[in-house]
Amino acid sequence: MSAAERSPGLAARPLAVLPPLILLGLLAALPLLNLGANSVKVLFLTFVSIAASVGWNILGGFAGQVSFGFAVFYGLGAYTTAVGINEGLNPYLTYPLAGAVAALASLLVGLPTFRLRGPYFAIATIGVSEATRVVMTNLEFTGGASGYRITEHVPFRQLEHYFTGLMLAALAVGLSIIVRRSRFGLGLRAIRDDQDAAADSGVNPYALKLGAHAIAAALTAAAGGVYARYAAFIDPEGVFGFPRGVGILLMPVIGGVNTIWGPVIGGGVYGVIEEELVARFPQLHLLLYGVLVMLIILFEPGGVVGLLQRTRRFVLRRREASWQPS
Amino acid sequence: MTFVDFLNLLISALLLAGTYAAMAIGMTVIYGVMKIVNLAHAGFLMLGAYFVYELHERAGLHPLLGVLLAFPAFYVVGVLVHWALGRGVPVSDKPTLASLLLMFGLWLVLQNIGYLVWGTDDRAILTPMTFATIRFGEITIPKIGLVVFASAVISLAALEFVLHRTWFGRSIRALIQNRYSCRIVGIPVERTARRTFGLGIAFAGAAGGLLALLYPFSPDFGRPFLLRSFVIIVLGGLESFSGVFVGSLILALVETFSIFIVPSSYQPAISFSLLVVALIVLPGGVAGFAARMRSRRAE
Repeated sequence: MSAAERSPGLAARPLAVLPPLILLGLLAALPLLNLGANSVKVLFLTFVSIAASVGWNILGGFAGQVSFGFAVFYGLGAYTTAVGINEGLNPYLTYPLAGAVAALASLLVGLPTFRLRGPYFAIATIGVSEATRVVMTNLEFTGGASGYRITEHVPFRQLEHYFTGLMLAALAVGLSIIVRRSRFGLGLRAIRDDQDAAADSGVNPYALKLGAHAIAAALTAAAGGVYARYAAFIDPEGVFGFPRGVGILLMPVIGGVNTIWGPVIGGGVYGVIEEELVARFPQLHLLLYGVLVMLIILFEPGGVVGLLQRTRRFVLRRREASWQPS
Repeated sequence: MTFVDFLNLLISALLLAGTYAAMAIGMTVIYGVMKIVNLAHAGFLMLGAYFVYELHERAGLHPLLGVLLAFPAFYVVGVLVHWALGRGVPVSDKPTLASLLLMFGLWLVLQNIGYLVWGTDDRAILTPMTFATIRFGEITIPKIGLVVFASAVISLAALEFVLHRTWFGRSIRALIQNRYSCRIVGIPVERTARRTFGLGIAFAGAAGGLLALLYPFSPDFGRPFLLRSFVIIVLGGLESFSGVFVGSLILALVETFSIFIVPSSYQPAISFSLLVVALIVLPGGVAGFAARMRSRRAE
């Protein structure tokens, strides 16, 4: 681990907590400006995306286990919440329930697939995701391919959804910071760098990966649940489809994997692009993501965050150079 | 199940296996030489389908001629793509996530170019052969299946010839074994890698054309076949050519005969479940399993 990668403790930089808190406060106060319903919707969807993106990054970024299969958890979360609400549960109880269901499912998925490494794991998750989608498309209890409708006997309040989404995104970021700074997070980083070396130094890669998978799955499922309640209608193609899993993977890759804020930036970019482009050019956005991913892998594996850091270093160096007495 | 039913299913499984082998072999050569898991394989399968389709619709070319033309056309495409990706597709010892994501990005690009050009509608290549059958008593063989099978087998035989009788083929097989030794004996590693990539893409394109003769297709055509290709090369042990044939046969048999156990709506899940099972139970594929058995017996 290089010194630059080690984040100094909060005690050393007490002001570091301020910008995120200010951002959170601004976003919480934003509805006071009387935004249009559409802007609120875009922001809400962005929060949901951020929560899933940050969740994915805990496994895919911190532990380096790239999964194409997070649609499984997103969909399970969406369906758990949907069924829960229709059975008369309080919506806010269904989100933790969705998280718990997905965490259990993540164990089922992880127990066999974590015996595989790197790309083999990634490929296996494509299989898991497609198999789950097929099963859900045929499940009679949830209406199969024709989808599932949520009926709530309360008026639709968009701002309530807005704040739920914001809280979830904040919770996800908080959790990701806690994981990152914990002993657990250190173990994940060790696995990412070199699994065998990590195992030799007393880290249990299997158990740690399962743990990261469960946390990531729970966050993604909660995001799915929050989305489902807003949408009030879900279908297997939409929440379990391969493009969903791809989207959850693309956000952190674009923003910058293995960082705290990369997935947040990626989620934001994705949420906005998705909303602006999907309606008008349904195919163009995936084309755009494909190009972005290729450019990122070829030129800046650190994503947006990596680009920002590089620019910052460049500017600092220029300034230093100009300070030198001539 | 009567004996005739059994025979009919067995024949269709065998025909399917030939096509599957042609489909998966392109992925195997690329994996073998560069250890790149070519997710863009799906995109090239799809482009191959449209290539043959367009030649058939616009120029009135016979689809089989189109498939033949797909080999050189996609070889050039593959070489160009390899050149354009540059250091993104190195010859490496083990698969990396970076190259996986890169090929994934390429797949997204190809797929969505497909959507932009051809829209979301399903297309099909229909010829007088499509619904024709050959009958032997109670056994019926779809003519198109037979033709596709024959084309696949011929192309695989040609590949076998190239691999074993030309210096290009020998250098490919040498690279699969050990690229450091290759440098020592003077094999141009980078050039061979580029040509191998072209070869893999050529087979993807042509196989896509063959598959398009059997199934209707849309720009999302490649996805189920991508996963099937994975299942096959994983079953076959990832870099073994004979393993690909075994893998194709296993997959085709399982898919064909599982209709007795699994309801047809769950059919698509079979190959994916088989993939996960194969990855976990047979990490070295069938070839690796056989090798392990042999060494155990030797002890």
